[in-house]
Amino acid sequence: MFKRIILDEWANLVPMVAFGVLFTVFLVTTLRAIRLKPDEQKRMADLPLQDSDKPSDP
Amino acid sequence: MNTATAKTTTITYDDRTVRQFMIASIVWGIVGMLVGVICATQLSWWQMNGKFLEAVTGGLFKGDGLQYITFGRLRPLHTNAVIFAFVGNMAFAGIYYSTQRLCKARTASDLLSKIHMWGWQLIIVAAAITLPAGLTRGKEYAELIWPINIAVALVWVVFAVNFFWTLAKRNEPSLYVALWFYIATIVTVAMLYIVNHLSIPTSLLHSYPVFGGLQDGLVQWWYGHNAVAFFLTTPILGIMYYFLPKAANRPVYSYRLSIVHFWSLVFIYIWAGPHHLLNTSLPRWLQMLGMLFSLMLWAPSWGGMLNGLLTLRGAWAKLRTDPVIKFFAAGITFYGMATFEGPLLSIRAVNALSHYTDWGIGHVHSGALGWNGFMAAGMFYWLAPRLWKTKLWSTGMANMHFWIGLVGILLYVTAMWTAGITQGLMLGEVAEGGTTLKYEFVETLKAIQLPYILRSVGGTLYLIGFFLCAWNIFMTARSGKASDDTVEVAVPEKAHDRMRLGDALANDPVAYCVAALAMMILWFFLPPHADKAALLLTVILVVKAIRVFKTRGNAWDQWHESLLRNYLPFTLLTFIAVAIGGGVQIVPSLLVNREKNIEGRLQEIYTPLELAGRDIYVAEGCYNCHSQMIRTLMPDVMRYGRAGVKDDFSHLGESLYDHPYQWGSKRTGPDLAREGGGFVQGSDHVRSGKRDNKWHWFHFMNPRWANEDSNMPAYPWLYEQKTDFKSLPAKIAVQRQLGVPFPAWTKDEIDQQAREQGMAIARSLFEGSSPVGYEPIKGESTEALVRHFSESRVVALIAYVQKLGTYREITKEGAPAAVPLDPDSFRNISEKTEALRRGETSANP
Repeated sequence: MFKRIILDEWANLVPMVAFGVLFTVFLVTTLRAIRLKPDEQKRMADLPLQDSDKPSDP
Repeated sequence: MNTATAKTTTITYDDRTVRQFMIASIVWGIVGMLVGVICATQLSWWQMNGKFLEAVTGGLFKGDGLQYITFGRLRPLHTNAVIFAFVGNMAFAGIYYSTQRLCKARTASDLLSKIHMWGWQLIIVAAAITLPAGLTRGKEYAELIWPINIAVALVWVVFAVNFFWTLAKRNEPSLYVALWFYIATIVTVAMLYIVNHLSIPTSLLHSYPVFGGLQDGLVQWWYGHNAVAFFLTTPILGIMYYFLPKAANRPVYSYRLSIVHFWSLVFIYIWAGPHHLLNTSLPRWLQMLGMLFSLMLWAPSWGGMLNGLLTLRGAWAKLRTDPVIKFFAAGITFYGMATFEGPLLSIRAVNALSHYTDWGIGHVHSGALGWNGFMAAGMFYWLAPRLWKTKLWSTGMANMHFWIGLVGILLYVTAMWTAGITQGLMLGEVAEGGTTLKYEFVETLKAIQLPYILRSVGGTLYLIGFFLCAWNIFMTARSGKASDDTVEVAVPEKAHDRMRLGDALANDPVAYCVAALAMMILWFFLPPHADKAALLLTVILVVKAIRVFKTRGNAWDQWHESLLRNYLPFTLLTFIAVAIGGGVQIVPSLLVNREKNIEGRLQEIYTPLELAGRDIYVAEGCYNCHSQMIRTLMPDVMRYGRAGVKDDFSHLGESLYDHPYQWGSKRTGPDLAREGGGFVQGSDHVRSGKRDNKWHWFHFMNPRWANEDSNMPAYPWLYEQKTDFKSLPAKIAVQRQLGVPFPAWTKDEIDQQAREQGMAIARSLFEGSSPVGYEPIKGESTEALVRHFSESRVVALIAYVQKLGTYREITKEGAPAAVPLDPDSFRNISEKTEALRRGETSANP
């Protein structure tokens, strides 16, 4: 039912694959942030930083 | 105090010194980071050690390398520049600015401020000249030669006098939390620096540390770890406690948390140094002590981080617009991240994978670039408009700096994590069957080349960010005018600084702390059963203290409040808190780990030429890449030990006479502990270890000859420069003074021995069918070449490398006795007794 994968060079490859995944996510997120429209940028920037529920809060 | 009736006075703060320190920090920061980027590229491309100058100068410079910019010499320059020049100047700027305002007093002496400011810069210039010149003590972050060390101590005293004098003159009775951290910084750095830099000079430019082997390693990492704690952390925490509430316009989240944070941090940090020596021959009890206190550090570190971040409650919206808050929030987050990772790396099992790899490098850079660098930038952007009475020239550029710096750090740290974990895993992998290792060292180095390149990219981005910062601050300064703040402050009636020493020490909180600590220390050192009684008493005392605090908590609060109005008793208690941890580790090691207590392997002393070679090894910074400590881990023993030799990890006695010790903290190249060997047949001078003399000769000339993937620099100058024979008598005299059992040789005997061995090794290079090629004096006779090379540095270095790891066996009469102050000896005896009972060993092995 379960297949066990034995990878000969796992110590060499796994951290590099992990880094590759991380780097790709990082790169895609950065590119997306750069390409966002100004309105959307503002909306996203405001999202986590409201100290109260009032939308006008600076 | 009734302010309505109080006298007032007008004070003009000394902001000129603050401006000077700030500018110095930015300038040295850029220099330090630039050197860091060069060092990073050297690990990817060996040509960056000087060969690249051929291309840059259009062929004017010719050669395989330039001695002044090899990785071994530049790396200490990078670390010293970033720690002492960049962060040091930044901390002084913050301390001078905030102390005056917190004390409501101008700094006590303008003259002392000037001496401090310019003295510190001169020290940095001296370091920038001596370190690339190969003048070093060979201990990490403690490389500066002894005359500069004395200058550092003097300037630090000037700083301390100026600071405490300002406290004495203050117009604010109570000491604010930031000042507590500054006090801890000043007294602890003085203590650490003086103890770890104790040396005996052999000449104006050279000295030997008074500690050797294990003692030196322990003292070094007591200092090294706490340089991080008390030079890179506590002053910056003080800065956080002052500047963050100012920038956020909010009070510190929790005053009580800051009290707990301060005392627990300064007490616990100092014990954690031994975690740099896990799985080595450091006594086990010290390793456990280092690991446990490192784990305990999680709590105070995160207490401080949370106190900082929660101060931003209600001010998070500023994160959108204010680059200062951006830098501070990210800096404190990196502090939290690095102080989470630190204890993690101090767990022995994790350390087995991470130590000697780039994981450690990533860890320190998340602290240095993320915590220190971002806090520095935040403080600069906050200070510059106030110091030049203008607006920040470009908020957009400051934001750009933030994002470029953040991307740079993240790239750097993740690349180093990847490199470290990859290399750590590969080094530990065994081939099928489990009897041999799977990878050569150089294969692991090759595997991490991509992260190495990405590290250089990350570092470059971070450096670009600081260029933007420098430009922004420069334009801000140009757009304004340097001016000092003048304020009117109330002069309090002198009711502070009146506490007698007895009142500070003879009270419940101090008595309970001292008694519980004494019991805890007895628990460490007493023999079995008596230690359990001490532990029980420790627990009883802690429980009793908690109960007393519950009933008399207000009195304890009042005592602490009054302590804060009395800077000298406060300073004394801080000093006691930091001195205990160091004393418990270092004093037993100084008493116990001596030749008379060594069992098994005891280091053979060096010949005069080998000693000269060792000093060349240190001067070239070889210790920055090569360790001389085979850990007690199986893969390490398999990789670096000798075939057929049982337990071939590095034993305690093998480095007893090494001043300075050479255990290392990072392996960019393989461990060299077993590189040396016995005499070749028929010779009293020529040794041959894992490789013969010719191999080393060609290897130093061209490391690519030995392995095409090596990233080691070439050392052509070693073939031209002569060994300094004249200095050897003074060096050996100092070694004798330090307890190294050199015979009482005369100057002539030392010189003759060194020259004889040099001739013998040089002659060995010309034996056999493969002659030694040497371009500059190609046409000379063999005899002339032998004479030339017998005095060359490369031959002295070969003599040292071929001696590495040689020892003689020491056997003791009868079973070993327990040694007071060495908890391991009790454990060893009980284990041996058990083995004897089972008939597994004899009483006198």
